[in-house]
Amino acid sequence: MELIKIFVKAKCPKCPAAKEIGLELKREGLPVFHYDLDTIDGLAEASFHSILSTPSLIIEDEEEREVVSWRGMVPTIQEVRQYLFRSN
Amino acid sequence: MANVIEMKEERKDFKEEFETTDMALFVRTSEESMNDWNRQRIVDALIRETYIDVDTAKEIAREVEDLIVTSKIKMITAPLVRELVDTKLVERGLEQARKMHTRLGMPLYDVDQLILHPNKENANVPHGPEATNLTLAERIKKEYALLSVFSQETADAHIRGDIHLHDLGFVDRPYCSGQSLEYIKRFGLSLPNSIAMAKPAKHPEVLLAHMVKFAAALQSNFAGAIGWDAVNLFFAPYLVGMSDRDLEQLAQMMIFEFSQQAVARGGQAIFTDLNLYWEIPKHFENVPAIGPGGERTGKNYSDYMKESQRFAWALFNVFLEGDGSGRPFFFPKPLVHITEKFFQTPGHMDFLHHICEVASEKGNTYFVFDRGETAKISECCRLSFKLDQTDLEDAKEPWKMRYCALQNVTLNLPRMAYLAKGDDTRLFSKLTEFIEVAVKAHLEKKAFIEKLLSVGERGPLALLAMNRDGSPYLRMHRASFLIGMVGLNELVQVHTGQEMHQSRQTFKFGLKVIAHMKLLVDKLSERYGMHFVLEQTPAESTAYRFAKLDLRFHSPRSGHIVKGDISKGEVYYTNSTYLNNSAVLNPIERVRQEGLFHPLIEAGALTHIWLGEAKPSKESLANFVIKTFRQTQNDQIAFSPEFTTCNACNRTSRGLRSSCQYCGSQEVDGITRITGYFTKLSSWNKGKIGELRNRYRNQAYIEEAERGAALKVG
Amino acid sequence: MIEIKGFLETSFLDWPGKICSVLFLPGCNFRCPYCHNHPLVFHPGQFASIPLKKILRRLRSFKDWIDGVCITGGEPTLHADLPLLIREIKESGFPVKLDTNGSCPGILEKLIEEGRLDFVSMDVKGPLDPFSYRRATGLPVDLSLISKSIEILKREKVEYQFRVTVVPQLHSREEMRTLAQQLGAGRRVILQNFNPEDPLDPSLKKTVPYDPKALKEMERMVQEMM
Repeated sequence: MELIKIFVKAKCPKCPAAKEIGLELKREGLPVFHYDLDTIDGLAEASFHSILSTPSLIIEDEEEREVVSWRGMVPTIQEVRQYLFRSN
Repeated sequence: MANVIEMKEERKDFKEEFETTDMALFVRTSEESMNDWNRQRIVDALIRETYIDVDTAKEIAREVEDLIVTSKIKMITAPLVRELVDTKLVERGLEQARKMHTRLGMPLYDVDQLILHPNKENANVPHGPEATNLTLAERIKKEYALLSVFSQETADAHIRGDIHLHDLGFVDRPYCSGQSLEYIKRFGLSLPNSIAMAKPAKHPEVLLAHMVKFAAALQSNFAGAIGWDAVNLFFAPYLVGMSDRDLEQLAQMMIFEFSQQAVARGGQAIFTDLNLYWEIPKHFENVPAIGPGGERTGKNYSDYMKESQRFAWALFNVFLEGDGSGRPFFFPKPLVHITEKFFQTPGHMDFLHHICEVASEKGNTYFVFDRGETAKISECCRLSFKLDQTDLEDAKEPWKMRYCALQNVTLNLPRMAYLAKGDDTRLFSKLTEFIEVAVKAHLEKKAFIEKLLSVGERGPLALLAMNRDGSPYLRMHRASFLIGMVGLNELVQVHTGQEMHQSRQTFKFGLKVIAHMKLLVDKLSERYGMHFVLEQTPAESTAYRFAKLDLRFHSPRSGHIVKGDISKGEVYYTNSTYLNNSAVLNPIERVRQEGLFHPLIEAGALTHIWLGEAKPSKESLANFVIKTFRQTQNDQIAFSPEFTTCNACNRTSRGLRSSCQYCGSQEVDGITRITGYFTKLSSWNKGKIGELRNRYRNQAYIEEAERGAALKVG
Repeated sequence: MIEIKGFLETSFLDWPGKICSVLFLPGCNFRCPYCHNHPLVFHPGQFASIPLKKILRRLRSFKDWIDGVCITGGEPTLHADLPLLIREIKESGFPVKLDTNGSCPGILEKLIEEGRLDFVSMDVKGPLDPFSYRRATGLPVDLSLISKSIEILKREKVEYQFRVTVVPQLHSREEMRTLAQQLGAGRRVILQNFNPEDPLDPSLKKTVPYDPKALKEMERMVQEMM
């Protein structure tokens, strides 16, 4: 099962939209993790994935390898879904 | 012989020479009397230097006199009298007064050692009378700094090795500086206290002479690196119509001037960074160019691309040749900025191959990656930052672009892990605590430097107070305050049981530590209105010092943690956020993984690729440089080959050998990068020698295939 | 399957212009006195074999960086299942470069004809006469095989280069001139300096290699002869 990681910051105009997608996917029972770049864990995780801008969203496979990422932009939920159910 | 002691003469009579003559002078005693002895001198000194009352002072003076008389000492020296007085202060519990009355200096034995043996704290200092002077002065200033500039708490933290205050021997100067040639092109050389004033240069050779002299003046006012921005571009208006031969000659002069060890402070080469560009940096494109005589040429810098590129090319021709015996030049260091615009500029691949050939043959080239469309500039200590609106305004008048870092304080990261005993909360609170101490140290240093600057052009830092364009040369509001780190790898190892390259979790934990530092430093910058930045400290001696101190204070645990060879005393911690030097990680992994830290660290971030004996193809290196730019966040890379230079036949061969490949002589020395510069192995400290033995030089996995289970990222 | 005895994940010098990985195969039919790889080549038992699977897994994690894989030895063409190894690597998406001494022209030709190779680097040991070759390889060598390999490469069906390791007492300037004439390959001939660190014949340890500048100059001479 894929993992979805969403990276946001407090003062970032497009972040609420990214969070919204996260919440929606979570309601569908998918593993979604939110990271706030103003916190230690959030900044560390973002650095690990070379995420320099928010909002960003990445999907990883079971072995934590990156499948796809949207950096500094918000995909539509359909775009995200495409990648989620491809391998299943 | 004038047998005076400090108590003999009225202090006001020879105020200037008082402290310096003091040490050399004695009082001799005989059976009957003490010549030139005057008890009142003790009283005067105590009143002048401390806060104690006259009665106590008199009492102490009498007691000391009694002691001298009854002990029948044959020769009393001034230091002895002072120490006897100090003992009396201690007996009375006058701790503060004792501190104020203390004497700075060195034991005879130490001075003897120093004059006879080379200094290994900084491999850039040769051994000789001038260097010894420097070291002696540094020792006294260091003591002065710890007693008088910094608070007890800060000084103790340094002495204990929780933190390291860099360049304490240069406490009365800022740390490092970055500037633009435009300053001397426009204003000429008119330095405070100097006996002759030079008008703006009319010829390239003269501009070079001004640059060299100004660099030397700056070296006397800063502790560390002196950086120059876009050197080839700012020289360009002087180079119009110059023949290839003359241009080559000029390039050679520049490199030879900055590579000569023997001319400067303490016989120490000026730590010179030359920032070079193949393109015209965006922020200089439309800036009116200054040419001969300090006059505007009527053209913009974008009109000088040809000259600028020719000069850059010529400089690398010189680096490729090396010095008279084929060795790499140790200084100046060429930093080439690789940007998006670099790749849009004609001829960039040829130039990239050229500088990669230098990297392969001699190692000099630093590849600095300025990604994205935002303008960036490297100032001193490889601190790069994005230009904001006020900087872009400055860029229109580039002589204003001068920056400095006031001080560098490095944290002993493994120390925190020993203290935290595996508890996360404690670890992070220790980290906060250490950073707060570092910030305190910065505030103390800033106050001290401001005090020196407040006297203006008549004060000790006249050069930095010099005002030629409406603001002092040192622009305090633009100063940075560096907070460095040593041994992230060992912190992680102590705390989690594994080193950073050994698992994804431990690597992430390392990132967490630096993320914490970054967030905290940003917050403190806001609170104090100062620019605190994280730095990858080069830690030439700090990595050794911290390891030694932790072996003393945190044994036996530290015995399993420090790197190197304990039996030989060659111990060290891994520099900054680097991965273990001996870990079997290929250059791709190293550049990729170490690069993940770089966006968090504004100053000095760099990945070393140790080449060992191998001499790569320039095209393959160029390929690697481009991929590093495109596919990682790494800020800067350098390739380090190793050489053996023969003192008998003066030839240089590839690789580190115990005898000369050409003449068989054993009189050889190795050459490679110690931290951020090349130097001879014979001058390295033990810790760095330990690191050198461990460096993984990209050998094939043979036999040891199982050892380095490398971490995969991305 | 072939035992792979050494694996260098990243090399900047084995394939000009590329970042490549290098696989070392054991065994060789020559005994060049200046060989610096000899423990691996003649005593492969001392070294652990590295499973190909593991190598391919590593390669995949660097797929955006590694431009190709270089197979070297020893002499790779001595292994009957070399084509199999090459196929596996190519199927993983990596171009292949082969290092050979040219003693098995049949295999070389077949690999080239089948389009399995992207680059061939052939070690030429000295002027193409029985005496020089025997001296440089430590064995009598059937020179017709070597000449055949040279001829195959010069058909230019694949990118190639001729590499000569230059040892002062085996390769005088005159001898290099002769070799250059025989090869007639211009800039495709590259010279590499002999390394006296640990040669197969210990008596060579005392041999002083050419000065790098002199070697560069010699290379220029060789490359300018057509």
